[in-house]
Amino acid sequence: MTSEPAALDVPVDAAEPAPEPVRQRRWMVPAGRLLVLVAAAGGWEAMARLNILPAAFIGQPSVFLPLLVHQLLGGAILRAIADTLSATLAAFAVGGVLALATALVLTIAPPLRAVLEPYLDALNALPRVALVPLFIVWFGLGALSKIVSGISLMYFILLYNTLAGAHSVDPDHVRLARSLGLSGQRVFLRIVLPTAAPSIFAGLRLGLVYTLLGVVTAELIAGGRGLGSLISYYSNTFDANGVFAVLVVLVILADLLSGLMTRIERRLTRWKQ
Amino acid sequence: MTGREPDGDIVLIDVVHAFRQQAQSLRVLDGLSLTIGDGEFVSLVGPSGCGKTTVLDLMNGLVPLQRGTLLIGGRPPAAGRPDTARMFARDALLPWRTAYANIDFAIATRERDAARRDGIIRALLADVGLSGFEHAYPGQLSQGMRQRVALARTFSLESKHIFLDEPFGALDAQTKLVLQDQLLRLWERVRSTVVLVSHDLAEAVALSDRVIVMSARPGRIIADMRIDLPRPRSATRLQAMREFHELYAQLWSELERAVGPPS
Ligand SMILES: Nc1ncnc2c1ncn2[C@@H]1O[C@H](COP(=O)(O)OP(=O)(O)O)[C@@H](O)[C@H]1O
Ligand SMILES: [Mg+2]
Repeated sequence: MTSEPAALDVPVDAAEPAPEPVRQRRWMVPAGRLLVLVAAAGGWEAMARLNILPAAFIGQPSVFLPLLVHQLLGGAILRAIADTLSATLAAFAVGGVLALATALVLTIAPPLRAVLEPYLDALNALPRVALVPLFIVWFGLGALSKIVSGISLMYFILLYNTLAGAHSVDPDHVRLARSLGLSGQRVFLRIVLPTAAPSIFAGLRLGLVYTLLGVVTAELIAGGRGLGSLISYYSNTFDANGVFAVLVVLVILADLLSGLMTRIERRLTRWKQ
Repeated sequence: MTGREPDGDIVLIDVVHAFRQQAQSLRVLDGLSLTIGDGEFVSLVGPSGCGKTTVLDLMNGLVPLQRGTLLIGGRPPAAGRPDTARMFARDALLPWRTAYANIDFAIATRERDAARRDGIIRALLADVGLSGFEHAYPGQLSQGMRQRVALARTFSLESKHIFLDEPFGALDAQTKLVLQDQLLRLWERVRSTVVLVSHDLAEAVALSDRVIVMSARPGRIIADMRIDLPRPRSATRLQAMREFHELYAQLWSELERAVGPPS
């Protein structure tokens, strides 16, 4: 198709056969993972049964897994999931938008960034768990305080990831956009954001999981509904199996959310593949 | 404006430019004066760091003028002027946009009518031999093909003044000739005023009506030579022409006279 001359490649020695690639069957990795899971659960069960560690402390898979299924069917835990998930998504959305808006302002105005950066770093260094009681005082025991707790994590994670990604912008791209007359805001939207996309998606994925943790932490402290409150209820009644049942739900939830983000990312960064 | 406007499409009078580097002032241009005629194809050659890109940045309005006079089509330069177009040294294609969308990125800043844009983009991709590559991402194209997309993007703007900054610097000798011919074909249709920065004397001679040689920093003009080769030209065919090599040799000797014999 092209009229460009091909490079003068030295022909590869055809006499030598290509090495046989190591064949890996597609089911091997998932099967291996399942095996690890079964072995861990079996070991856990054995420790509890043989009383190596008391079952009252570590729970027992043969008890909390059926309990989990029972709760899921009963709907009690579904309400808690809905409560936690809706707060997580709200915090994710609000924190994300705030983070991108802040990144826009800081990228367009480098002097402002220089002034504000130490304060942002300081705020980010605050341990969120310690702030949750304050959030509860300010925003009450309801959904708002746990949403704010989630935002306080989401905001900084996405802000820092976006700024780091924006750092790798090709100066020629910015010069091109400026020579075309694009405003600073347009340059951010059309050049900086797409450049930072991989790093923004890493931030979204990490941020989503941490937002979930922020919400659950607030629920642990504030009580009310939600998965965190359930954990706190079970641990207050010394029910290790109940705690583990909720933890399994949390792990699955975090994994699903993270997988969802990966899918969206693949969709939007197809040019990289 | 007053009646004392200097003739010429692009006019520089006593342009002085200095950059601040580590609390020191680095004088890059030291009283540059130059007049480029309407529809003239002018090359600016000179050693690396002599201020060629700075001259284009000034003309393009990306760097503010510090001292002197600079007029593009009778008006001071400004970034985003629709009658100016710029091509950068490396292709500066956006990797997340297809070849088509990269051209559209530029032309959409000037042309509202999507159907007209589509026509221009497809015609230009065909002109540079890339029909069928509309949906290819830059990462899937060779350096030569990417440079051709960048060339198409630059000419899609249909600007009166075109600034090209070492557009073929990253290419091998043969691909370079192919692209030079494509540039000549695109330009000969529109005859806009072109300022081409190059560090390749042969390229400058092959493409230009006039070659201007700048000294090492601070950049001054040390040679200004007309290239009276007939047009339309082909850089590939020029390689076999005696006049081309004579002009090339003449440019070298002017250079030597200006900077003194090599020590
Ligand atoms: N923004 C800038 N700040 C400081 N120095 C610069 C800047 N841009 C260019 N320079 C310096 O000015 C000189 C000329 O640069 P440039 O115009 O890019 O030269 P050329 O294109 O001829 O190689 C170089 O020494 C370069 O380091
Ligand atoms: Mg340069």
